[in-house]
Amino acid sequence: MINKNIVIALLGGLLTLSGCDGFMDTKIDTFPTDETIMTNRSTLFSYATAFYTPLRSGFNALDNNLFAAATDEAQQTSIGGNALIFNLGIMNSKSIPQSLYYTFYDGIRAANNFISFATQNKWLLTHNRDTIADAINYKTDKLNYDWYMAEAHIAKAYYYAELIKRYGGVPIVENTYDNADKGNLYIKRSSYDKVVDYIVSEIDQHKGKLQVNWKTSSYATSEGRFSLGAALAIKTRVLLYAASPLNNPTDDREKWKLAAAAAQELISTPGLNYALEKNYGSYFIDLAVSTSNETIFAIRAGASNTMEKANYPVATPGGNSGVCPTNNLVSVYEYIGPVKEDNPYANRDPRLAASIVTNGSKWNNRTIDQSPGGKDDQSVANASRTGYYLKKFLTDNVNLVQNATVQHHWPMYRYGGFLLEYAEAMNGAYGPDAIPEGYTLSAKEALKKVRNRASTSLPAITTTNRDEFFTIIKRERQVELAFEDHRYWDLLRWKDAEVVLNQPVQGVKVTKKSEGGYSYEVVDVAQRTFHPANYYYPFAYSDVVSSNNTLEQNPGY
Amino acid sequence: MLKQSIYRSLIIGALLTTALNQSWAQAVKTAVSDSVARKEVPGGLFKTKLPLSTSAVSTVSGETLQKTRVPNLFNTLTGNLSGLTMVHGNGDPGNDDARYAIRGAGTTALGRYNSCKIYVDGFEVHSNYLSYLSSNEIESISVLKDAAALAPFGMSGANGVLWVVTKKGEGKIKINFQGSYGIQRAININKPLNSSDFANLYNQAISNDNGNVWTPKYSPAELEGYRNGTGTNVDWYDEVLKKNGAYANGNLTFSGSVPNLNYFVALTYGNQQGLLNSRNTDSTSNAQFAHYSVRSNLEFKMFKVVEARVGLYARLEDRKFPNQSSNNASAIFNQLESYPSNIYPVYDGNTSHFSGTGIYPNNPYASIVATGWKSSRRRYLQGNFGLREHLDFITPGLYLDESISFMSYASTMYNKTRNYERYFNGAKTTNDQLSSLTASAMQPYGQDDWKQGKILLGYNRQFGNHGIQSAFEYHISSETGEGNYSYQVHMQNISGRANYSYKNRYIGEIGFSYFGYDGYRPGNQWGFYPTISGAWVVSNEDFMQGNSLVNYLKLRASVGKSGNYDATVGNGISNFSTNGRYLYQQYYVNSGSFYTGTTSPTNSSGMGKLFSANPDIFAEQSMKYNVGVEFTLFHKFQVGVDAYLDKRTGIPVIDNTIPSFYAEETKINNLGKMTNKGVDLNLSFTDTYGSFAYTLMGMASYNKNKIDNMSEIPTAFSYNAYTGRAYGTPVGLIADGFYQLEDFNTDGTLKSGLPKPMFGDVQPGDMKYKDLDGDTKVDQTDVTSIGKTDLPEWTYSFGGNVAFKGFDLSILFQGTAGSSVNILSAANAQVEAFTNNSNAYDIAKGAWAYYPEQGIDTRNTATYPRLTTKSNTNNYRASSFWMKNNDYLRIRNVELGYTLKQSWQKKCVLSNFRVYVNAVNPLTWSSLLKDYNIDPETFSGYPALQSFNIGFSATF
Repeated sequence: MINKNIVIALLGGLLTLSGCDGFMDTKIDTFPTDETIMTNRSTLFSYATAFYTPLRSGFNALDNNLFAAATDEAQQTSIGGNALIFNLGIMNSKSIPQSLYYTFYDGIRAANNFISFATQNKWLLTHNRDTIADAINYKTDKLNYDWYMAEAHIAKAYYYAELIKRYGGVPIVENTYDNADKGNLYIKRSSYDKVVDYIVSEIDQHKGKLQVNWKTSSYATSEGRFSLGAALAIKTRVLLYAASPLNNPTDDREKWKLAAAAAQELISTPGLNYALEKNYGSYFIDLAVSTSNETIFAIRAGASNTMEKANYPVATPGGNSGVCPTNNLVSVYEYIGPVKEDNPYANRDPRLAASIVTNGSKWNNRTIDQSPGGKDDQSVANASRTGYYLKKFLTDNVNLVQNATVQHHWPMYRYGGFLLEYAEAMNGAYGPDAIPEGYTLSAKEALKKVRNRASTSLPAITTTNRDEFFTIIKRERQVELAFEDHRYWDLLRWKDAEVVLNQPVQGVKVTKKSEGGYSYEVVDVAQRTFHPANYYYPFAYSDVVSSNNTLEQNPGY
Repeated sequence: MLKQSIYRSLIIGALLTTALNQSWAQAVKTAVSDSVARKEVPGGLFKTKLPLSTSAVSTVSGETLQKTRVPNLFNTLTGNLSGLTMVHGNGDPGNDDARYAIRGAGTTALGRYNSCKIYVDGFEVHSNYLSYLSSNEIESISVLKDAAALAPFGMSGANGVLWVVTKKGEGKIKINFQGSYGIQRAININKPLNSSDFANLYNQAISNDNGNVWTPKYSPAELEGYRNGTGTNVDWYDEVLKKNGAYANGNLTFSGSVPNLNYFVALTYGNQQGLLNSRNTDSTSNAQFAHYSVRSNLEFKMFKVVEARVGLYARLEDRKFPNQSSNNASAIFNQLESYPSNIYPVYDGNTSHFSGTGIYPNNPYASIVATGWKSSRRRYLQGNFGLREHLDFITPGLYLDESISFMSYASTMYNKTRNYERYFNGAKTTNDQLSSLTASAMQPYGQDDWKQGKILLGYNRQFGNHGIQSAFEYHISSETGEGNYSYQVHMQNISGRANYSYKNRYIGEIGFSYFGYDGYRPGNQWGFYPTISGAWVVSNEDFMQGNSLVNYLKLRASVGKSGNYDATVGNGISNFSTNGRYLYQQYYVNSGSFYTGTTSPTNSSGMGKLFSANPDIFAEQSMKYNVGVEFTLFHKFQVGVDAYLDKRTGIPVIDNTIPSFYAEETKINNLGKMTNKGVDLNLSFTDTYGSFAYTLMGMASYNKNKIDNMSEIPTAFSYNAYTGRAYGTPVGLIADGFYQLEDFNTDGTLKSGLPKPMFGDVQPGDMKYKDLDGDTKVDQTDVTSIGKTDLPEWTYSFGGNVAFKGFDLSILFQGTAGSSVNILSAANAQVEAFTNNSNAYDIAKGAWAYYPEQGIDTRNTATYPRLTTKSNTNNYRASSFWMKNNDYLRIRNVELGYTLKQSWQKKCVLSNFRVYVNAVNPLTWSSLLKDYNIDPETFSGYPALQSFNIGFSATF
């Protein structure tokens, strides 16, 4: 029976093929799996880096450009997109521009993940390694392990600080989804003050284990990770925000004192070496932010020309006149000499010329002429609507046609801004001139340092009144920190937004005078609208409805 | 519109019938016998005699498919199978696959088309294997639709099966040669505006952008130049395309039967030349496609009880096209669509340099003559071998069948490329350097090996009034391939069907599949899929015997479960990405980078989950219910009607129930639900009238579905949601005309009381939308359904054949109703004028504009929003304005043939000789085509083709 044999052979063949256990196990894993990540100690450090990657620089905070267009600092030229939602005051729970809610919680998840993973798997440090032959690297890895462990807590503190700045109280999430109690997934919002306490305690508990100053350590290539200085700067700002009118309606001095103490801690801590960069303008250009001692914490990036492309005047090949400074901002720069009739930009606080391209100034290899018929004629499509162009952060004469690039690093915490926070906190707690026991500077002295760096010719500050001094600080912050993504949040926390962000933003209309020179007419350019509800972002509608009624929406949304 | 189409079809059908009835009077009366009893229903495990079948299956013969004389077999299916919704492919040689769907969309886990499985001679194949099979080698193609028919396919059957059977040899030796030659041309080309119209409209657009102040870019002198022909005005389509492409096809088949051997051998050759106006030289190439194949199906009787089958198939596919970024001709058509007429002449000045600029770098003419070419070769090799042992010595009717199949596919590319310098006004404009023709090394472009084996135990027997037909099979499948990913797909299927009949009147059938798929967690890989079905052949009851009205009547019903392991969900996670098949397995990826350092910061990568693994992920389930009736009246009129319900559950969707503050990666979960319903209808009428015999046929399918759950993120209002609507329903804003001058205050702001659009500042002539939620803002909470899906609710076809003496004439109409198209996205280059330096078409002539001093005022007649040169998110977004009805009716094919008289044939040793003329897609009725010059099946890119062919068939 040949055929029977054939049948048996075939049957047997097929069964052998299928019978082996592996037939249904076909995985071809091109990505790391649970198994493979446990064979490699670099997993520890990749997980650590993961809580840094959600950090966002201010260069793409809103419509791939500066956040300034949401405020009275600047006006977007091609309006549309998310800036408009701020400008029109139409934020609602279904459209939240750049909420970053998920981004920041992703950072928190990554930090929680690192802490639990690294705690359980410290053995990976010695895994597959001769700790004697490889002693130097082993030692570095061990140090890094401890630093990262502390940095993870600072990262959480930072992300929560950014969240409460936008949302008020938020849920405090201590576990990743994998480690979460599945029967109790929904976490209620903690109050704003609770989250502040949480942030402060995270920093206070872990600051001792942080690298003090990466730049002066043997690990300068790690500059950019959280350090002791960065942690103290985060704490200062969080406490200052908590003491501000929005979050401290009774003007409780104790809250101001906490902020002042935190600020003093940074000043008194040895080894931090922070100092003001000599030249205000050049600090923001190219790699200065990355290298300067003024930087407390910065977000670094590869070289690019995105900022120049977006914000060079449209008359420069490749430029798009992205966000243009308003006259509202220009007008607060003080005069340091007599007012010139035909040039309102002469004899001004030098920070004006360092931050803003004004008509008649040199920029992109030409003298800007925005009068009708000029190279930068305001009536040309996509020319600045305000009569000003952005200068801060931009390197001049980058050849966009040839796609040349320059470095841009985002100063998240810098000493200049810190001194103003110090001054504000000290003034809030003790008034402009007091130097209580344990403090080294008065509010006024801190302010003076900042102003003197800009120019020693600026008018002297003489007031001794706490409220007047507060107003002076507000103006000083507006000038010193222009375009650095402080204005919007300052207006919120000072509760000034309802007034300031309900006024039109203005620009100048430039005309050439027949006798030579220009004349400038101040005109309204665009509206700003701000509703009381906008002091906080709304939570996303989808998050609220899918939260089992545990996520309480902010009032007014 | 639907009604109109139906009326139109009816009228045309009626006209056709009367025309046929009247014109040819003399006829030879041909007996038309009732073919029901002889017909067989193909399907998995075994085929069933039609009266005994309990399944919903529609079948078409290879002969019928031949009437649509196009290179791609998929395109011949259109209008020939009920329950199959087809979208004809475009005309790009070798890239002209149709889209197809069995009984509607089915599942949200996949696109609405191309989700069914394809089996050829009992083994599963990929669709690209079927694409260029010749209809000459096809015995039949069936659509397996209901639970009964799909019972053996278990976890792979939910989206239906295309069941293809190739020809086998029988009878006397027959040698047949067929040749056809045709010219193909575009059904329609939507040409852009000429320079004069373009410039005039551009002046409007730029003025609109400058605050409605007349600030033209083109001076009157330039406009005059465009008008009188001295300005640049290039019709790129004329430069790049020729009117026709040629298509030649030849088939040689040997078939027959000698003792102990049945043989069928087919040789096929096809060559299609595209529409590009470039010669085939060493340095240039038209878009072209050639295929060569040989099939050999042999059946041996080896011993008394053993039969063996050998099926061998090999095919070569050669594609060649000008060297462009795309691996087909589509990039050239993108250029043709988007490059305005006035940008530059073909050559710069009086030089031989090609024009080109930074904005329009690819001179379309240079694209076909100065860039070299690319060629792609694909090879298919298939070998099937089977043995059948008739085990009647154990018990009569018992048999065992073993078969194996090897299928191999490989693709390579080889290019000869060069580059050219771009000039404008005598200056070089880009970095491109002139280079000489350079041959590239051969590059592999994907390969796939597929091994399958089957063992089947069957038992067929008739005991008096009791009939039984049954089979049980074990099917094992292993596929391994390398392409963008390396992958391995392993499956095992134990299936069975048992059909019991009593007196050929009462029929019951059960079927099952126990199916294992390797994509799920070990221990969770197998699913059980049972079905049960029955039929009652009423016409075989005593009381119906000899009924002259109703000759045949059968009622059917089936219910059963099947599954679908295919899914493409979130983040591009899909079947053939190795990671995406194993959703139960946790994978990790780089999660972005972070820079550290001082003077030259460097970045390091973080790590996170690729997706959130779900250990319980499993195949989607489908519960299918079907009832059907088949009957024949007067021995002439055959009708089949089926109604179905297909409930899907456990569709893999993105799980949106995890609170977002966990920032957990996408998790795919079996949460989706969907309901599909529909009706299939088949009609045919065969009769003779005087000396001619004719058949009229018609079929229609209706498919409707509703998403019951897709784990959609809750929307503000239920009308914003996709859930509750048909899968693919476009959701957008309701257009409400254009803003008029009166709607604005003097400072340009919208008057109070008007809802404010949230997409940017508006000005007169911009699109106005309805504020559905009444919150005085127009935003994402005002979106709702704005049309129908791209998958039509109705597909229908009708036509007929008539034979008169030696002549025969056939025609097939096919159409769809109940679908919409968003022309803004489907044909963006032809619709969105000027933005981002794009082109403009006739549609832009209807733009809103008001420049009284220029004599321009279309305020009350505008059919298009005001023009702009900038991107405009208010006007160019999904809204009811851009949704257009996409119903159409086409003549798919019409053929007139003449068969030589027997007496003549005998003289030439011919047994049959037939010549014919044939047209494919000669006529189309479509409002989209009429109103917007856009073809209803091919919206943009390489145009759809119509062809006019002549050919002959000689049998010796």
